[in-house]
Amino acid sequence: MAPERWVVFAAVALPFLAAALLPLGYRLLGERVGYAGAAVAAVCFGLVASLVGTSGTVSAPWIPSMDVAIRFYVDGWALLFALLASGIGVVIFAYSAAYMHGMPNLVRFYATLSAFMGSILGVAFASDLLVFFLFWELTSVCSFVLIGYHTEEADSQFSARMAMLITVGGGLCLLAGILLLSSAAGVVLGGGAADPTFDLATILAAEATGGSISTQLEDSGLFLPALALVTVAAGAKSAQVPLHFWLPRAMVAPTPVSAFLHSATMVKVGVYALGRLRPLFGGPEWELLIATLGLATMTVGAVLAVRAVDIKELLAYSTASHLGLMVAAFGFQIHYGAEAGAYHLLNHALFKAALFLVAGIVAHEVGTRRVDDLGGLWRDLPVTAAITVVTALSMAGIPPLHGFYSKELLFAAAWDSAQAGGGLAWLYPVTATVASVFTVLYSLRFLWLFLGDRPDGLGAVHRPPVALVGPPALLAGAAVVATVLPERTIDLLVQDGALATATAGETVSVHAELPLELSGPVAMSLLAVGFGVALFPAYDRVLAVVNRGYRLSSAVHPTALYRGLLAGVDRGSDGIRRWLHTGLIRSYVWWALAGTCAITLAGYAATDATPAIAGLGVPTAMVLVLGVAVVAALAVTATDTHVTGVLTLSILGFMVAIFYILASGPDLALTQLVVETLLLLIFLLVIEELPAFYGELDVSVAAGDAALSLVVGATAFVSVLLVAPPGGGSLSGTAKEYVERAPKEGGGTNVVNVILTDFRAFDTLGEAIVIAMAAMSVLVLLAMRGRGETR
Amino acid sequence: MTTIIMKTTARVVVPIVLVVAISLFLQGHNLPGGGFIGGVLTVAAFALVYVAYDLDYLEVSVLERDVDPGRGIFEHRTVTTYRRLFTLGLAVTLASGAGALLFGEPFLSQTFDYVHLPLFGEVELATALVFDVGIYCVVVGGLLAIFSVVGAE
Repeated sequence: MAPERWVVFAAVALPFLAAALLPLGYRLLGERVGYAGAAVAAVCFGLVASLVGTSGTVSAPWIPSMDVAIRFYVDGWALLFALLASGIGVVIFAYSAAYMHGMPNLVRFYATLSAFMGSILGVAFASDLLVFFLFWELTSVCSFVLIGYHTEEADSQFSARMAMLITVGGGLCLLAGILLLSSAAGVVLGGGAADPTFDLATILAAEATGGSISTQLEDSGLFLPALALVTVAAGAKSAQVPLHFWLPRAMVAPTPVSAFLHSATMVKVGVYALGRLRPLFGGPEWELLIATLGLATMTVGAVLAVRAVDIKELLAYSTASHLGLMVAAFGFQIHYGAEAGAYHLLNHALFKAALFLVAGIVAHEVGTRRVDDLGGLWRDLPVTAAITVVTALSMAGIPPLHGFYSKELLFAAAWDSAQAGGGLAWLYPVTATVASVFTVLYSLRFLWLFLGDRPDGLGAVHRPPVALVGPPALLAGAAVVATVLPERTIDLLVQDGALATATAGETVSVHAELPLELSGPVAMSLLAVGFGVALFPAYDRVLAVVNRGYRLSSAVHPTALYRGLLAGVDRGSDGIRRWLHTGLIRSYVWWALAGTCAITLAGYAATDATPAIAGLGVPTAMVLVLGVAVVAALAVTATDTHVTGVLTLSILGFMVAIFYILASGPDLALTQLVVETLLLLIFLLVIEELPAFYGELDVSVAAGDAALSLVVGATAFVSVLLVAPPGGGSLSGTAKEYVERAPKEGGGTNVVNVILTDFRAFDTLGEAIVIAMAAMSVLVLLAMRGRGETR
Repeated sequence: MTTIIMKTTARVVVPIVLVVAISLFLQGHNLPGGGFIGGVLTVAAFALVYVAYDLDYLEVSVLERDVDPGRGIFEHRTVTTYRRLFTLGLAVTLASGAGALLFGEPFLSQTFDYVHLPLFGEVELATALVFDVGIYCVVVGGLLAIFSVVGAE
């Protein structure tokens, strides 16, 4: 069944509309506007839910000439992601209303959060690759604003900039990958490389029937570059090694943001894209690259989570680790891979968002987030403790909780791939098991915040209000439902999603059942849980080993590399600034002119332009006028006072005006005359302020200036020769058309002015804006001269 | 530059220049002229006044208003007026473009019509004139704002 067009568009547009109306809502409702946001999210959730069971493309035209349209594609995978985003959005908005009580800048916070939800729904549904890219970058921008919520704090600024640089840098790679992909698709689907196809749904459909687009990419040698670009983009967004380090830093954002953006939705955009493109890029290279990347991240994230000192940092590294799990799952070229990736996307969002909200409650009520200072909170926070038991054990992958099923599917994928590949491929299951041991360890550590001994230093703990506990309880309730009715959950949400990520030839059928006999994957689970539980009493010793390893590897820590890179860029731009930004207007003019001439001449050289000279039939009057102009120009260089210099220069200007009259360009002549007059007046105004004597002339400077003057003159000369129409007095085609159309369509006989105000009014508008901007710049520059750096 | 010769010349020339500027502006649609040329010529007329007299001359002697000497040039009433003028000009230009949208035409489309007026006979009314008024205001306001601020330095 095809989806209703308005439903899809409304679901994506509504959050943006809400973001625009939020300032008004805040005036009416105050802090309760968070609940209005929750209502909007609920409406979006309802709209998306009404689409379940449909599939197909809806579109509205955008740039028809380039085949770009606002296309949305609805299928199981898009619906799964969109339901997660809007559903968790409801919970987050409701939680924020209580959590952000009394905080500043709430309008910006809620508006960005709402716009973010719209962007993520856009990413989920976008079928046009350019629209997809647009929403993808919008999520990065929203994330930047939300991470930098505390705009005054240096830590916030640093983290927001880091997240922005990495995710947007990844976004640029995505754009490059998209262009490679769409031009290859253009070749296959007719039209050629110059007529790219941006419709992802069409591309995937063509790939599913013939596999010809990936073949085309391989033939043109662009398969690996495109794959690498997409992987870098997804890796940056989904915090994969070695670009994972921005995610823990992003935890300076308020907790609802961490729960929504940095665990449940935005960071999953990369995973989502990999799932989407899996049918297209699938193959041995894909498996090697993506599965290795995912498993590496899974391990590194889990190990770093074990040594985290802050509960949100623990959850952030754990998120990176679980994202690695999903990425690895999509990497494996076996049907278990698609199943594990899609299923874990849902499971992880349920338990991790709830755990973040729990972390927020702990920070809010206890006042600290340090792992070492917390423990035995179950007496103070019984409901929160119950939520944590369900979600943390699910995160650890303990049966029969829902997190176990999807992890078991990953183990199955790793095990079968190893059996198929043999040799080094056995590293897949080994790494996955080791990473899972650490997962169990840090999950239990988080659980022990509630179960272990209560440290003496912990003061009185308030009971959290229902408004804070309700939202995570809702998520935990969903987790319980997913645990009790796994097959129903799969039928409703996961199965169709997994189908969309399957490569051709895979039979995807997701099942969740407790294993009753021993097999490879079951053994992996047993080992992971067994070792994890056995090692937990010796947590301190594990921590010491991990810390030693961390210190030994300090040379290759990505954060250090990132800082080094930033410092290098700073130094480099400082060096360029010293050299280029001299503060002398003459050096700017020199370089601007030299650059313009170089580019212009290079353009002529590249196009092999040859001037068409049709005789030298110049009237005597013109020769005379131009001769006077040349003499005036020569005289300017020989004057010894400013007044004579200015006046001689004016002779030159007025001669040019007369030349325009002779060449029958009265408008040009008029303009030249009035501008010349105005310039003369301005000179008169400032002439008394100019110094009479500038000092000795430096020969090398003068030589440079003379050379530049010659080059500028030569460039202008060549340009005139090339651009001027062939002689003979006949009009060019463009000129003829304007002359014909001006009286008829513009109602004026002055063709120049009709062009200015009618045919090309947009250009004139632009020039008017330039004049206004120049005036404003002068006002601002002069008004601010007394402020700022002269302190 | 504030010599007697300069002042006397300015007194005679400025009104003529202003009239020429306005006529150039109005005839722009069919003869040489238009918003930009008319605007620059108007600026030249005002610049002549500033060079021959000073910035406060218009306020004090022509409009017979008081000028508060303590205020800086940026709060000067003249500069504020010019700032408003080019803002208004931009607004008029954009509005004349947006007007076409109301009639389902692309942004900045222009049209024209002929009307009969007593004494003048047949007169052409073009929407391009509104657009040109905006350009004129931007040029006059922008250039004079720069001119007066830089001149006051």
